[in-house]
Amino acid sequence: MSALTFKLRSKPDQRLDLSPLVPARLAKLKEKQIEALVIGTTRAKLTVGDVFKIKGDEVAKLRFAGTDGRCDNIGRGLTEGEIVVDGHAGAYLGAAMKRGKIEVKGNAGALAGASMAGGILTIGGNAGENAAGVLVGETQGMRGGVLTIGRNAGPLVGERMRRGLVIVGGNAGDYAGGRMIAGTILIKRGVGRHAGFGLRRGSLIFLREPEDILPTFGDCGVLEFDYLRLLEHWLRETGRPVRLGGRARRLMGDMSVLGKGEMLILD
Amino acid sequence: MPELKIKGVTIVETFAEAFPMVATRVIITAPTLEWALISARTMTGFATSVIACGAEAGIERILTPRETMDGRPGVAVLLFTMNADKLQTQLRNRVGQCVLTSPGSACFAGLEGEKKLKLGASLRFFGDGWQVSKVIGGRRFWRIPVMDGEFLCEATTGLTKKAVGGGNLLVLGKSHKSVLTACTRAVKAIAELPDVITPFPGGIVRSGSKVGSKYKGQIASTNDAYCPTLKAAVDTALPLDIEAVMEIVIDGLSFEAIHKAMHAGIHAIAKGGAREGVTHISAGNYGGNLGPHHFHLKEIVG
Repeated sequence: MSALTFKLRSKPDQRLDLSPLVPARLAKLKEKQIEALVIGTTRAKLTVGDVFKIKGDEVAKLRFAGTDGRCDNIGRGLTEGEIVVDGHAGAYLGAAMKRGKIEVKGNAGALAGASMAGGILTIGGNAGENAAGVLVGETQGMRGGVLTIGRNAGPLVGERMRRGLVIVGGNAGDYAGGRMIAGTILIKRGVGRHAGFGLRRGSLIFLREPEDILPTFGDCGVLEFDYLRLLEHWLRETGRPVRLGGRARRLMGDMSVLGKGEMLILD
Repeated sequence: MPELKIKGVTIVETFAEAFPMVATRVIITAPTLEWALISARTMTGFATSVIACGAEAGIERILTPRETMDGRPGVAVLLFTMNADKLQTQLRNRVGQCVLTSPGSACFAGLEGEKKLKLGASLRFFGDGWQVSKVIGGRRFWRIPVMDGEFLCEATTGLTKKAVGGGNLLVLGKSHKSVLTACTRAVKAIAELPDVITPFPGGIVRSGSKVGSKYKGQIASTNDAYCPTLKAAVDTALPLDIEAVMEIVIDGLSFEAIHKAMHAGIHAIAKGGAREGVTHISAGNYGGNLGPHHFHLKEIVG
């Protein structure tokens, strides 16, 4: 058995909705039926067979090859299995996913991992705005799992996030952790303006000091946090090594709301 | 049938009678091993016997920074009681009063277990609303603000109902010194093994008890059959030349763990041979009707 692979034949002339292409949905379908699934988003009817060349048969392991930023909803609502994207992903990558694993080699569009409840979502390149943020119709952002962004994240990463961990390898845009309810966002490089705007609970961990800190965050000074050692240890064990150490400056906020959140700026 | 002897020390053909218990393990870490040990010793203090201490507890082993969840030196502690409710109370009180209070400490689950016991999940209320919950890798941890920073404590730990308490060895010898030396050696040997503790002072009990007493309300009293000063007055179990008897009590997470510990203990005691002054290795039982677990010395040695 080899991974069920969808190779893009040529660039489609419309955005694609790839939400039907998840293991739970494909498990009961024959190849002909998969090819007949409608994935177009305009009045011009478009099916899987029109756009993708299908290879392999292992439904629990899906693979997309040659996809671009117009391939939306990859792994949306994923409940099981593994998806590897050898290319880019459009909007809603892994949105509302519950379990399973998605790995994207390239970039992802807006709302990657939005309102996801669990599982592991890994983006090698950049992510658009609202990664781990609030999906349309939802009241909360990410509710569990781990989202790793290899390079930069757009604005509003982790907006209204409730639980889980987001790791941004590069820079994050404005309003990182905006209106966050709880959870953890780890940003390895710079961050835009208004980080932690409306933060109720939750942790924003910065490896580099943000240039612009909201005046509604109060300084607690540089302190020891065994929690950071625990997190570092776990990250290393799960193959995401980051040097955190145990000391950080703690800023509490956002005092304009509940104020029980924190920024931990590594010493 | 010939007597079984190891290096001249007689292995009495009898058995240790042990009881089912419930148990848990927690890992205590601290900035230094010294402080992890202080915290662990405090938590396991006054925990020799469930008769009056509420629990039996001890240090199982020392953990290197590589083995702990936060990369600091740590100590594994085992805690035993007769039922899950008592275990929960003892765990909360002991961790709350002895680990939470200890400088720089953190406390983690040390057992998967069939059921869960609350650890940080009850201690978090000490945080008075400032406590912070963090879920890492599916496990919940509480960060409780304290005067030296934060007390990091896992929300729950596991409980096992397969634990066994009261595995024991009785060591008879011609001098107090020889028995103490042999028992000390045995406790050290047992300390190397996983899943077991010897809860008494230094692992050794000198006041083994029998059930009941001539006094009303006294549920246990001195084991007169093994008291060398009473040889002439009671139905003694001791030959005339025995000067002292000491007991090593072993609690373990499983029957097998105690079996292995008793094996290691017997061989460590007999290592000095009869020349050292130890004459017999025996075991305590109540006739076999009270405890479901029987550890026959002959089988253990074999």
